[in-house]
Amino acid sequence: MSDLNDSEVMALAKASGIAIPQHLLPEVRESLNGLLEALDDITEPDVAGIEALPIILSETARTQEA
Amino acid sequence: MDHDSICYLSATELGQHIAAGRISSAQATDAYLQRIARLDGNYASYITVTPERARSDARQADAEIAAGRHRGPLHGVPIAVKDQFDTAGILTTNGSTILAENIPDSDATVMAKLRHAGVVLLGKLNMSEYASGDAFRHPYGRPRNPWDTNRNPGTSSSGSGAATAAFLCATSLGEDTGGSIRGPAAFCGLVGIRPTFGRVSRHGVFGACWSMDTVGPVSRTVTDCANTLAAIAGHDPNDPQTWDAPVPDYAAALDGNIQGLKLGIVTQRVHTDANDPEVRDAILASAQVLGGLGAAVREVSIPLIVHSSEISYAIISSDAALLNWDIISTDRLRELDHNNQVRLLMGSVLPATAYQKAVRLREILRQQILAALQEVDALIMPASSVPATLIPDSPGLGTKADVIAGFKGRRGFTAPFNLANLPALSINCGFTGSGLPIGLQIAGRPFDETTLFRLAYAYEQATDWNQRRPPGV
Repeated sequence: MSDLNDSEVMALAKASGIAIPQHLLPEVRESLNGLLEALDDITEPDVAGIEALPIILSETARTQEA
Repeated sequence: MDHDSICYLSATELGQHIAAGRISSAQATDAYLQRIARLDGNYASYITVTPERARSDARQADAEIAAGRHRGPLHGVPIAVKDQFDTAGILTTNGSTILAENIPDSDATVMAKLRHAGVVLLGKLNMSEYASGDAFRHPYGRPRNPWDTNRNPGTSSSGSGAATAAFLCATSLGEDTGGSIRGPAAFCGLVGIRPTFGRVSRHGVFGACWSMDTVGPVSRTVTDCANTLAAIAGHDPNDPQTWDAPVPDYAAALDGNIQGLKLGIVTQRVHTDANDPEVRDAILASAQVLGGLGAAVREVSIPLIVHSSEISYAIISSDAALLNWDIISTDRLRELDHNNQVRLLMGSVLPATAYQKAVRLREILRQQILAALQEVDALIMPASSVPATLIPDSPGLGTKADVIAGFKGRRGFTAPFNLANLPALSINCGFTGSGLPIGLQIAGRPFDETTLFRLAYAYEQATDWNQRRPPGV
């Protein structure tokens, strides 16, 4: 994926209801593009069909309780 | 016994002396308060010292013990806690000037539990602003590592690491979202445990990430760590995420016998160029020690673990932004540390598709770790790929390339277990050639902190790493 530019980052911020001060924009852009690229580079395993349950321990975990 | 000798005792030893009347809690408290006054200028480990509260707690403990009402192993023992926990009537800053006048009306549940255990509160410990490992500015003083004051004591429970290592409290509490207990424990040569998510209440604790925040001890010995966790663990109706699971008598299980326990060396986190060679060698040597004590050691594979850092960063940054929306959506943003401003703004504009991918990857990683834990009783790997890092001289998160390179670093060693909500402990397993501590991480099954303590205790008894003191301490 291509990097987001300053205008696109500002548009995301506007949609979120916040303003990014101009002097912080380059670092926010670099940080965001770095994170997006790192996540994008994870192609294995496929996440399709995975249910995102961030807290609840799985049945496997429950059966392994000490 | 002179004052410093009292402070050099472990929390458990000190508690035994106090229970037997050989040392009073008041004597121990004075010893620590004098030591803090004399030495903490070197480490900035405290934000607030509470001498009046400490002396009052000590008088009460001495009176109760004299009357035959002994509360347990920490009764009368002077401790300190990270400034992230609400303490009734005591300044609680969360490491930020934004909360410079915040005095809570009530205690966090963990503080109420510590009171019930009869501890003496010496004060509130320094930390990274809003428990963010990225923070550069420390408005209450730059915490320094007692092993080398040019280096970090670890983040974000920086004061918990520094104060405990410098013998400025007998044991301490920290909070671990992405590694904030295990990092300071590793960097400062201590024992720190991140309990299973749900083992310890978060009520009254400033949050950093809803699904990963955990409270736990940073201590000098395994027994101290076990006793401190036992004092704070348990179900809390004020925290719906706590589980009503029994809290074992951790210390009673520490007999040194680990015969037959199965240990897995995590291949991808040990045999990797990300590790400092001295760290890798120390971990492999530790595995040999544990094997020599009767554990069956083998290698296990957890493929997705190498991406833990970026998965964790996406979730924590986004959650932290939402948790602090009242700050970042207003002019108060400028009151935050520079790095925190950048991180929270980034988290607030992270697209939902990226966040959802991270959450899904988290679930896959958790299943991979749990699958490994069906083959072995515990996992071992470094708590940090490197020893304590130098204190940076300027703020900034760097370029895109810096950010990506950072994901290959030390945070990817603690992150797997906060993502998986599993217990993980760091114990000192040696020193670099330049005298910096190295942390061995032991992680286990949900709510099985006991096995981690058993392994760590056996290792501690078989080695003499925790007999060393930092220079000048």
